[in-house]
Amino acid sequence: MEVYIAGKGIISAIGLNVGETLHALKAGISGIGTQTNLLNRHDNNLPTGEINLSNAQLAAMGGLNADYSRTALLSIIAAKEAVANACINLKDFRTGFISATTVGGMDKTENFMTAFIRDGELKNIDQVLYHDSGAITELVAEQLGIRNFVSTISTACSSSANAIMYASRLIKTGVLDVAIAGGTDAMSLFTLSGFNALMILDEHLCTPYDDNRKGLNLGEGAGYIVLVSEKVAAGLNRKPTVKLAGYANANDAFHQTASSPEGKGNCLAMQGALKMSGLAPQQIDYINLHGTGTSNNDLSEGMAIQRIFGEHVPDSSSTKTYTGHTLGACGGIEAIFSILAIEEKLIFPNLRLKTPMKELNFVPVTELKEGVEVKHVLSNSFGFGGNCSSLIFSKVN
Amino acid sequence: MELYIKGIGCVSPQLTYNNSVFLPEIKKYAGKHMMCIEPDYAPFFDTGSLRRMSRVVKFSAAAALTALKDSGITQLDAITTGTGYGLLENSEKFLTSMAGATGSVLSPTAFIQSTHNTIGATIALITGCNGHNNTFSHKGFSFESALIDARLLAAEGAKHILAGAHDEISEKTFALLDRLHAFRNNHDAALNDYEKGSNGIVAGEGAAFFILSAHQSEGDYGILVDNTIFYHPESTVQVKQYIDEFLEKNNIGLENIDVVISGINGDTNSDKFSHETNHLLFAHQTIALFKHLCGEYMTATSFGFWLAAKMLFTQQVPQSVILKNRHRQPKYILVYNVFQNDHSLMLLKAC
Repeated sequence: MEVYIAGKGIISAIGLNVGETLHALKAGISGIGTQTNLLNRHDNNLPTGEINLSNAQLAAMGGLNADYSRTALLSIIAAKEAVANACINLKDFRTGFISATTVGGMDKTENFMTAFIRDGELKNIDQVLYHDSGAITELVAEQLGIRNFVSTISTACSSSANAIMYASRLIKTGVLDVAIAGGTDAMSLFTLSGFNALMILDEHLCTPYDDNRKGLNLGEGAGYIVLVSEKVAAGLNRKPTVKLAGYANANDAFHQTASSPEGKGNCLAMQGALKMSGLAPQQIDYINLHGTGTSNNDLSEGMAIQRIFGEHVPDSSSTKTYTGHTLGACGGIEAIFSILAIEEKLIFPNLRLKTPMKELNFVPVTELKEGVEVKHVLSNSFGFGGNCSSLIFSKVN
Repeated sequence: MELYIKGIGCVSPQLTYNNSVFLPEIKKYAGKHMMCIEPDYAPFFDTGSLRRMSRVVKFSAAAALTALKDSGITQLDAITTGTGYGLLENSEKFLTSMAGATGSVLSPTAFIQSTHNTIGATIALITGCNGHNNTFSHKGFSFESALIDARLLAAEGAKHILAGAHDEISEKTFALLDRLHAFRNNHDAALNDYEKGSNGIVAGEGAAFFILSAHQSEGDYGILVDNTIFYHPESTVQVKQYIDEFLEKNNIGLENIDVVISGINGDTNSDKFSHETNHLLFAHQTIALFKHLCGEYMTATSFGFWLAAKMLFTQQVPQSVILKNRHRQPKYILVYNVFQNDHSLMLLKAC
């Protein structure tokens, strides 16, 4: 039983839709920069990958109330684009909405709570109403007109890869015919302060897989794909060209925030996905790296890749050099980059890479490659709590 | 795929962490909330680890380890959990330090342990489980999604799966929801009050974990036949249709259901669908309630599931949970829960 990709929708610091995103990816334009309207209160002016639109502007785009969490506003924009792109009447099928988020409505809650904690200020108490992750998903599901099957996954930075995986499993077992799956996370002071406290934020533009990497830049965004069953795919006017060929979820079981030096969980996730797809490692044409830019992640991921692929590591890159690390959204956003690589015959560069890591036998791609036959893409998403997930997207023959 | 319940662990506002007894006495709560009766943690964790763990991490990990020990299984293949709010106390702690800080570097400890997957990750660390590890955070579908995940995992070949859920009452969130008039006073937690209904809920919390497997063995508690979710039904007629379809899919007639465990929480608005459905469909079943024991929270159905497992195993329906029709032996149990717009069904049967 195959599961096909019928549509995609995305919003991030490099574009408000798939078209703008593709343009930026090809032109090598990073969306990471100085903080804009959202976080100018923050003392440390750390670079972030923010979407340069206010909540009011996003709300107008998505047709949602501007008072809602930015996480919901980003979600509805990308989800609507994905549905429109798929050209499917959702009501004709058993359709589910499987979203992912780590921050949920924290952008609103932190606003209220810091004032509440400081001075017992209770004005704007309604800002906490949609704090939880599920509330964000339901706001968007209502707007999409999806009833019946909704769910939300929150496994740190692997959240939306797990949402895509769950959607696929539900389709394979006949629980759903169509699923909109991916994730969303808005920039918040909570996550920015948290990562800053962990001292893993780069004060300059991040340089994943560089020997001198200093940490990550946070980003925000949302990415969703529309997954459909074989039966639904057969009835579509525009036949899907990409399928989800493999996936696996594993746990490193090593440390709450750090990866094991040898990347055990990372290795298990990639191997599991390869096994399911029936592909040999050398058949992978491109690896969309998790590549956060932290010393720990890139080393563990790199070691695991080396172990699996040996001397023949395929082309690889961290597109977080464009978007920043979008946390719970990155698996959805990077799924779309992976699909675009196949559809557009492109391999995107790992921006700003100067000095390759000395521990590794491979160097990510630093220049855009065009006109390349990309048949199989491996996309990695690894998170706190040892949560490691890998997806494989393949070209439909 | 049907799953056998091989081990259970539950920490709740009742004395439930001890698997050798079944609600020996009911602890009554008069206020607006009910909090967990916690076990002695010394047998579970060393002092160093205990110091680093927040309350919900302790009681949830203890519940998970109790289930594991109860099952006699040593190696887990997968861990799947649900939580409505995640780790509130740690989130609030970090927010508090953010509110007080002016440019200084904050301690990351609370932040690290504020992610929703903290409990699932902690259990993976303790048990050395490298397998599938998922955390669902979707209001009244959090535990339900973990059960669906567990059923998919078993069909995919996982032998022993830990599935469970947790939510905690935290000081600030409770205070805020109280200001929003979410809660009522629980005068004596009498079942009649829950049936009669008034405004607001009584807040609860807890963690319940289960070892599930597609393989039967001696001493299993019972069988999870199937579970399903339906978001935002329009009417009771539609709810009835969903329940009919669910039972039909499982080849069970309504008359086969002996006990309905109902998620009635005593808030008139929340309970509308439950009351109407009870009236429409379950006139002859034993109706049992559980939220007078554990309070209302997004993953309260994990307590309901624990109650069902205990009933199936002991073949008893405790007097303290029966709302009406006390005469039926529990062979088939249907759990029907409503949390805001999230409706869920779980069907269990005796081995």
